[in-house]
Amino acid sequence: MAQGSTKAALSPWDVVTLDAFQTPERTQASQWRRSWRAATTWMIGREASERQAKQESELRALPEIKLAHVAPSIDWRPAAARLEQALKLYHDAPVVLFISPPHGGHSAVVSHWAEQQGAHCLTAPTLKELVEGSLAWVDSATQTKRWAIPALERHFLRHTHGLQGVRDLLERALSGRLGQSVMGCDSWTYAYLQHAVGLEGVPVLTLQGVEGEQLADYFSNAAGECPTVYSTRTGKPILISESDQKAVFKELQRLAAHCRGHLGIAWHYWRERLREPADDGDSSAQQSEKAPRDTSQELWLLDALADAELPADTGDLATLLLHTLLIHGGLEDHALKHVLPFSDHEALNARFALARRGILSHQQGRWQVAPLSYASVRQLLESRNYLVDPL
Amino acid sequence: MDDQEQYAKLFNDIDSQALITLGVILVSTLLLIIASQRGLNWLANRLHGQVRFRVFALVPLTRLIILIAALAIAVPIIIEPSLRNMVTLLGAIGLAIGFALKDYVSSLIAGVVSAVELPYRPGDWVNIEGTYGEVKHVGMRTVEVQTPDDDLVAVPHLKLWDTAIYNANNGGTSLQCVASFYLHPEHEAGWVRKALRDVALTSAYLKFDEPIIVVAEEKPWGTHYRIRAYPVDPRQQFLFITDLTVRGKAVLSAAGITPALLPPDAALDARGAAH
Repeated sequence: MAQGSTKAALSPWDVVTLDAFQTPERTQASQWRRSWRAATTWMIGREASERQAKQESELRALPEIKLAHVAPSIDWRPAAARLEQALKLYHDAPVVLFISPPHGGHSAVVSHWAEQQGAHCLTAPTLKELVEGSLAWVDSATQTKRWAIPALERHFLRHTHGLQGVRDLLERALSGRLGQSVMGCDSWTYAYLQHAVGLEGVPVLTLQGVEGEQLADYFSNAAGECPTVYSTRTGKPILISESDQKAVFKELQRLAAHCRGHLGIAWHYWRERLREPADDGDSSAQQSEKAPRDTSQELWLLDALADAELPADTGDLATLLLHTLLIHGGLEDHALKHVLPFSDHEALNARFALARRGILSHQQGRWQVAPLSYASVRQLLESRNYLVDPL
Repeated sequence: MDDQEQYAKLFNDIDSQALITLGVILVSTLLLIIASQRGLNWLANRLHGQVRFRVFALVPLTRLIILIAALAIAVPIIIEPSLRNMVTLLGAIGLAIGFALKDYVSSLIAGVVSAVELPYRPGDWVNIEGTYGEVKHVGMRTVEVQTPDDDLVAVPHLKLWDTAIYNANNGGTSLQCVASFYLHPEHEAGWVRKALRDVALTSAYLKFDEPIIVVAEEKPWGTHYRIRAYPVDPRQQFLFITDLTVRGKAVLSAAGITPALLPPDAALDARGAAH
């Protein structure tokens, strides 16, 4: 019984209301650390500012097959089941929003929920329909008992003609004429639509922020047989508690705080920053002299903070582009001219420059802020008074 | 003989050691002022948001504190700081100021007041007697304002005494911008109001913490609409107004709403009035 309750406490699938969402412990400290890191990197250089127990040059990236075994894709179905449980409290609400940050899985969770419940998913309009202000796609939403929108961010455009459709849809849905709906929504889109459309009174659910201990449990169990993972920063194993009395996972707490408790983003870090010892004769020899151990079963996690950072002097053009991409949950190149006050050429140049530096990544035909850059981009936008998400 | 003695009592004996000390104080003060001004300006220009304005506000204040500290150290070296001596010295200085350096010293004193009252600080957008621009530097005698046309205008602080200073953002990041639209009177005003609000809501520069207000005012020649909204950063104000104007015109034009045109007689009247 006790084991069962511990397991429940360690589950990363706790669906809570937006008001109840809490970022992990030491999130603020993580932001200060990031600022301090940026300052020291600027003053004394990247190499000197990173004191490592294990040098990155002694490690290499994992082959894709091994990576798929050690860090398999997140299965969002348990979250969908927990969403259904949470929805029981809102049986009389015509619309319930389920939000998560970019790479946070709201679309997958709501899609799985719709599949499990046999609910119809509304098709997103095309870019042409949004730019022209066509409302034909809204008319396709007909009355059904339960229906869903996996990604509400695909149903609007920050354009003078791009808001009317989502306004009409929400008006109809909130009146209850269309039945009960669950809408997955990017947290940045939600922040924007709150101002542009008004979403007062709509119940908003999200996944509770995960702590280091939950991450340790998730990463250990996600892989069938997980090798020992060490931190390159401290040289200590990170999936084993550092204290016998209570669970202490400093390194993963650091990662959880850096990712603001979002499992989807933490998983990307886990996947992209795992390394294995390189087959270099010299370094292996040195390693064996220091501490003889079987290196075939050891992995190393690079420091989470050593990711693609935005310089403090990032210009307006790049900042506006990043904010626009976040608000829309990613955009195609040809959509940029409709939502940015720049010429096509300028917008593409800015997008290209950011992509080259690893700040943006291309996923499902859209450019979005890369998971490993998300924390620093959010911090930058917040420091410059841009509208940021509530998570 | 008595006058000479009294005069000698006013000032201390200035020997070589006192001269060296005064020189060291002078050089240190200058170096400290230059370092603090450059350092704080450099730092503020790399920051954004409210922190930028707070650091900028420290620039004149730091200089004032350094100057007061330097004077507090230097004056007792030169004169015996008794009440009689101070009255004599201040009387003499007051006489000189009254006749020759009135405006100059008035500006210096106003500069001290401006460092305390903060009617403007670097980063603020001000309008002083028709000169509108961003405050670039608050000096001891003048405030330097950079206009949108890239002219640097030095305005003496003494304007503070008798001129209205319009500060658009007052040390903060909220600066209201106004985009005007002049429309032919025959149109559906409710639709235009909503459309112009959406124009503001869909601007990439919009600051969401502040309200968006669309004001309509009926005029003899048509209707004057104004979007009042705030950009994320005060430095984006002209880009923001341009964005609102360009997209607002496109929306209104697509809806077939024509701009207001002055009737020929009104145009002639206006030309006559101009002459």
